[in-house]
Amino acid sequence: MGRLEAYVCRCEKVRIEDVKRAVEEGFRDLESLKRRLRIGMGPCQGRYCIPLLISILKRLGVEIDASKQPRIRPPLMPLPAYLLASHNEGCSEDGEV
Amino acid sequence: MRGAVRMAKYNVVIIGGGITGVALAYMLAKRGVERVLVLERNYLGSGSSFKCAGGIRASFSSEEHVKLMLRSIELWHELSKQLGFYYEQSGYVWLLSTEEEFKHYRELARFHNTLGLTTRVINGERVSDLVPTISAEGLVGALFDPLAGKASPFETLYSLYLAAKKLGAEFWTGCGAEKILIDDGHVVGVKTGRGPIYCDAVVVAAGSETRRLLMGVGVDVPLEPVPRHALITEAYSEVFKPLVVDASEGAYAVQVKEGNFLLGADIEERKGAPLTVRADFPALVLKVWSRWFPWLLYTGILRYWSGYYVVTPDRHPVLGPVNKVEGIYVAAGFSGHGFMMAPVVAEELTNWIVKGKPQNTYACRLVLSRFAEGKLLSEKAVIG
Repeated sequence: MGRLEAYVCRCEKVRIEDVKRAVEEGFRDLESLKRRLRIGMGPCQGRYCIPLLISILKRLGVEIDASKQPRIRPPLMPLPAYLLASHNEGCSEDGEV
Repeated sequence: MRGAVRMAKYNVVIIGGGITGVALAYMLAKRGVERVLVLERNYLGSGSSFKCAGGIRASFSSEEHVKLMLRSIELWHELSKQLGFYYEQSGYVWLLSTEEEFKHYRELARFHNTLGLTTRVINGERVSDLVPTISAEGLVGALFDPLAGKASPFETLYSLYLAAKKLGAEFWTGCGAEKILIDDGHVVGVKTGRGPIYCDAVVVAAGSETRRLLMGVGVDVPLEPVPRHALITEAYSEVFKPLVVDASEGAYAVQVKEGNFLLGADIEERKGAPLTVRADFPALVLKVWSRWFPWLLYTGILRYWSGYYVVTPDRHPVLGPVNKVEGIYVAAGFSGHGFMMAPVVAEELTNWIVKGKPQNTYACRLVLSRFAEGKLLSEKAVIG
């Protein structure tokens, strides 16, 4: 049987070992860990993996400011481009879509 | 320990942990300069560096930009090889929609060729060879810059950071510079949130904060932050390699290393306006790009953000010593080109600090005094 691997971030396939390595490299804040490891940069936009990352960091004894969560960018979850492309044409004057 | 921090003396303090400051820390350390410290008020790259598209080109309209970027591209090759980060010389394709534009860009290519940059114009039918899946209707032709390319802002900055740290450079994040300290016309240190730091030289590479910091020592650098917008799709397998520019819309589209399409377009913004997101931007950028790539409408939009182009009156950066105060150097006002220029800027600032002058004479033309002396430069090829 192959070795079992636990992903912290399923979208970008980031493992606990990757988190440990990044912490050793000196990355100790969530914004930097996100960009170093790509945690939270996939389709879930950090919804599942950032809370997991915070608890793993805690277990590793890394002091982080959990109130400083990575900046949330719209549209929160992937939206088909055609929905956003119709912003001008899609809205009538009385606000009806 | 706090006392030790206060007493520590550095050779060079770099204000700003963006690509410019981090690349400079690396180059200084590599040149054997010890006691180099980078101050970053937020996290590394958190200003404009991590908002940028990662395009790299020498196809500008000024001799200074072309010449400096040709050197920067040599350094992009060297650094990416030495440090092992992603960099691809995949070209830029400037889409031209009118005969007038085509003529203008043919002239621009001639100008590039005289400077040793091998750009060329191609006919509309040829564009799909370089940019598969493009819907070429209404396309007169394109300017192709084969020397241009792309890199990942995250990977590049972090590679330089780790290499600089290994060579002894120090980085303090979450620690902003409050004030530059001077005494008798010479810089003596920087006041930070963690107390004063003493040093022999200060480099201000703080993007939109640069003006405020230098104003504090009576030096006015004409910089204005202008919000620019970009969005990125989900990741897909490779469709096209070059960075594509819509010349008349001032818009760009690039498929980044991980496969996402990063799209930007010019949208009217006030100088100095705060960074926001606007409902009209995705509509605008998708309108521009779905004309060329109709399939884009069926991709998933993942993230939308804005960042500053810190612009100068002549769209060229301000580099080098500030004269009025001994020991202060500036590297700011890249007007949207700071990422691509970082290697050459770091190299020349290192020369300025170590040898007293840059090796590339074009760098000398970018000093602050050009504004007072009326020696402004001219650059028209600004995208996004």
